[in-house]
Amino acid sequence: MPPRICLYFQIHQPYRLRDLRITEIGKGKTMDYFDHDKNRSVFRKVAEKCYLPANRLMLSLLQQYPDFQIAYSLSGVFLDQCEEYGQDVLESFQRLAKTGRVEFLAETYYHSLSSIQDTEEFCEQTTLHIRKIEDLFGMTPTVFRNTELIYSNELAQTARLMGFKGILAEGTDHLLQGRSANLPYTPPRFRLPRRKEMLIARHRPLPQRSENISVLLKNYRLSDDVAFRFSDKSWVGFPLNAENFTDWLLGGGGHSVNLFMDYETFGEHQWEDTGIFEFLATLPHIWQERGITCATPSQVINAWKHTDAPVYDAHNVISWADTERDLSAWQGNQIQTSALKAIHALGPLVKATGNPDLLRIWRKLQTSDHFYYMCTKYWNDGDVHKYFSPYDSPYEAYRRYSHALCDLKMRVEPVKASRRDASTKNIKTSRRDVSNKQHTAHSNRPKSQSPIPNP
Amino acid sequence: MFGWEYPPRHLGGLGVACQGLIRGLVNQNVKVTLVLPFAADGSEDQIDILCPQEHHIQKIRVASLLLPYDSAELYAQRIQSIPRETAQIYGADLGHAVHVFTETSVEVTKHLQPDIVHAHDWMTYEAGLRSARHHGKPLVTHIHATELDRTHFHPNEWIYGRERWAFEQADHVIAVSNYTKNILVQHYGINPDKISVVHNGSDETYHADTAPTQITPMSGKKNPMVLFLGRLTIQKGPMHFLEMASMVHRHDPDVQFVIAGDGHMFPSLVHQAVKLGLQDCIVFAGKVSSDEARKLYTQASCFVMPSLSEPFGLVALEAIAQGTPVILSKQSGASEVIGHAFKVDFWDTEKMADCVLTILRETPLASQLTAEAPRVLQRLTWENQADKVVSIYKNLLHS
Repeated sequence: MPPRICLYFQIHQPYRLRDLRITEIGKGKTMDYFDHDKNRSVFRKVAEKCYLPANRLMLSLLQQYPDFQIAYSLSGVFLDQCEEYGQDVLESFQRLAKTGRVEFLAETYYHSLSSIQDTEEFCEQTTLHIRKIEDLFGMTPTVFRNTELIYSNELAQTARLMGFKGILAEGTDHLLQGRSANLPYTPPRFRLPRRKEMLIARHRPLPQRSENISVLLKNYRLSDDVAFRFSDKSWVGFPLNAENFTDWLLGGGGHSVNLFMDYETFGEHQWEDTGIFEFLATLPHIWQERGITCATPSQVINAWKHTDAPVYDAHNVISWADTERDLSAWQGNQIQTSALKAIHALGPLVKATGNPDLLRIWRKLQTSDHFYYMCTKYWNDGDVHKYFSPYDSPYEAYRRYSHALCDLKMRVEPVKASRRDASTKNIKTSRRDVSNKQHTAHSNRPKSQSPIPNP
Repeated sequence: MFGWEYPPRHLGGLGVACQGLIRGLVNQNVKVTLVLPFAADGSEDQIDILCPQEHHIQKIRVASLLLPYDSAELYAQRIQSIPRETAQIYGADLGHAVHVFTETSVEVTKHLQPDIVHAHDWMTYEAGLRSARHHGKPLVTHIHATELDRTHFHPNEWIYGRERWAFEQADHVIAVSNYTKNILVQHYGINPDKISVVHNGSDETYHADTAPTQITPMSGKKNPMVLFLGRLTIQKGPMHFLEMASMVHRHDPDVQFVIAGDGHMFPSLVHQAVKLGLQDCIVFAGKVSSDEARKLYTQASCFVMPSLSEPFGLVALEAIAQGTPVILSKQSGASEVIGHAFKVDFWDTEKMADCVLTILRETPLASQLTAEAPRVLQRLTWENQADKVVSIYKNLLHS
């Protein structure tokens, strides 16, 4: 039997920040950090070029070919933007969902890096996302895909304890070590620290934990042939046609070929005039002729009847980003790590306010894109930007972000208490100042060098 | 080569750039004969031999009062201050001075046998062109600052005309940035195919261990300082610096400002600073030596270059070499090569102030800019830049 084709598409839009100024900080309770005009215009541009035409095509393919099936992961912030800027886009996804042959995967609602920062927050965001998918599409995700395919052994165990039966990951060469990406894998079995297990149990999004979890690996060569190389005239495979591509898909054998990519591949990264839509439209036709079936991630896992699976051992964190396939795109320099640390440090304060608006704002600021825009990995002086960013530079990204953080911090700090504290402190300090001065005068030491007494 | 100030005596990029380029060329085994305007009453014996290779540079000095970045008004001031008999040697006004310089320098270079004639900025262009014609060799005009940069697009038509004429006549034009190349194409109508961009270089290097340590809360209450360094002329944007300073001051009265450099705008700047209420937090340092400049850079929490139109802006490289975070006018060549910096439009002083305050507030940001920006200096050495000039020469000689 030929391998199944597992198609999964990622869709996400961040809330980009507006040109915030330091003079606005701490001025208003309702200060808005986000650039709604920009966010709307990007959303509408991508909707017209990609979401709407691609969804139309997918719907017709689903209606035409009974074996065609696909999976999506729609970030929660993307779905929020659908409600704000594109009800038409949301409805087109709902029409796809109604066919019953579209699977929706779970991810963190805010497309965040919480999996590597804060387990409780990670569970909460995943729960929020699952509830959102249930509300909008009437189905409960059972397979998890993390932000930018960030993955590790620990994350796989976390997802298992959260109740997922499958998780997606990048099939990196150094972890596969010559093995095929076309088989379901399993993470090494181990126990998480007891505290973490209890934390997950308390915040588990799904009713019960899974006994096992399968890891579906992205076949990055074949995925990237479409996503990155389709219109590359210098590529040896150019021009790619559906026949040849199908031959390649079958060539590797295995249980399933997992083609994971950004949905924007269709119409946005590869423009319509490259013939990407025709390519996509021809595939199911050829697959039907040649007896190849499609399967969604959960079907791929269910169809695996062997009692064991090879082990995929990701001791260190991997992702699908850049050639490094690690976390350096989001936490590779000082400004990124400091911003990441600062936003997560605000968590307890934000939650203590019990204010749902502040909680939402805080979470929107966790979206991984904010940190990605601060990346300087390829910011070689004078070179063309290799990174897509709505801002002038990584430093502009940080400037806006740090202003938002400062303002949010002032909004969540317990105002009355701190004022009282401050005023009492002042009294104490001034007393100390007096004694200091006496002390200083006595020892004839300049004031700036006088030791600060411990409170 | 028709150049300026060797060794550089005045603050400003032209002399420094000429020196850097010539040293780079000499390292590439190019024999350079340098023709320099030189005031006879000045320090004739101030022939500093700064590095051994400079023995290979033949210098020809042409009596002239011309100075880099000259204008008719400045020249008139200077010529009035010297005895009339001497003044006649140099030329009564700027136009005449250029004419005298041209005649003399063409005459004294007739016996040479150059392969290429290379001239820097407009005052030497006619001399360069006539010399090139005399020897039947290609002319390269190197442009460090156009009349449009100096005057914020209100040029002296005569100078602008001289520049344009020379660019048209030249076999090749070297611009110090893409920014300048665009000006030549858009405002002088020069064919872009004959303009090459060779950014200025820097022989400064940044050593993290010798860099000043960031001001940390433990080091006491040292007030942060924001620096301007450049000629006090409209081109450099000192007024915009003051505007920015007053916004920063309103937000954080502890910030100090230093304006280093001299120029005809000095009195009006002082007046404006007082009007803006900055008298207690601003220092006019006047003209500074390169050692003093280096010290100011290291003391500064950030350096702002708000130039209205800056072909390159060597000061920006000097600042990052001292580990100082920089905020650059987008209307500059330096912003093309320095990646790790804030870049703002010169007129957007509000955003400039915001960037300053962000750098002062965010230690990780300042320390990343300090560490990352100087990496470009490894690439932008004068040796590398001279290499590019040499390949331009070779192309000209083989075409």
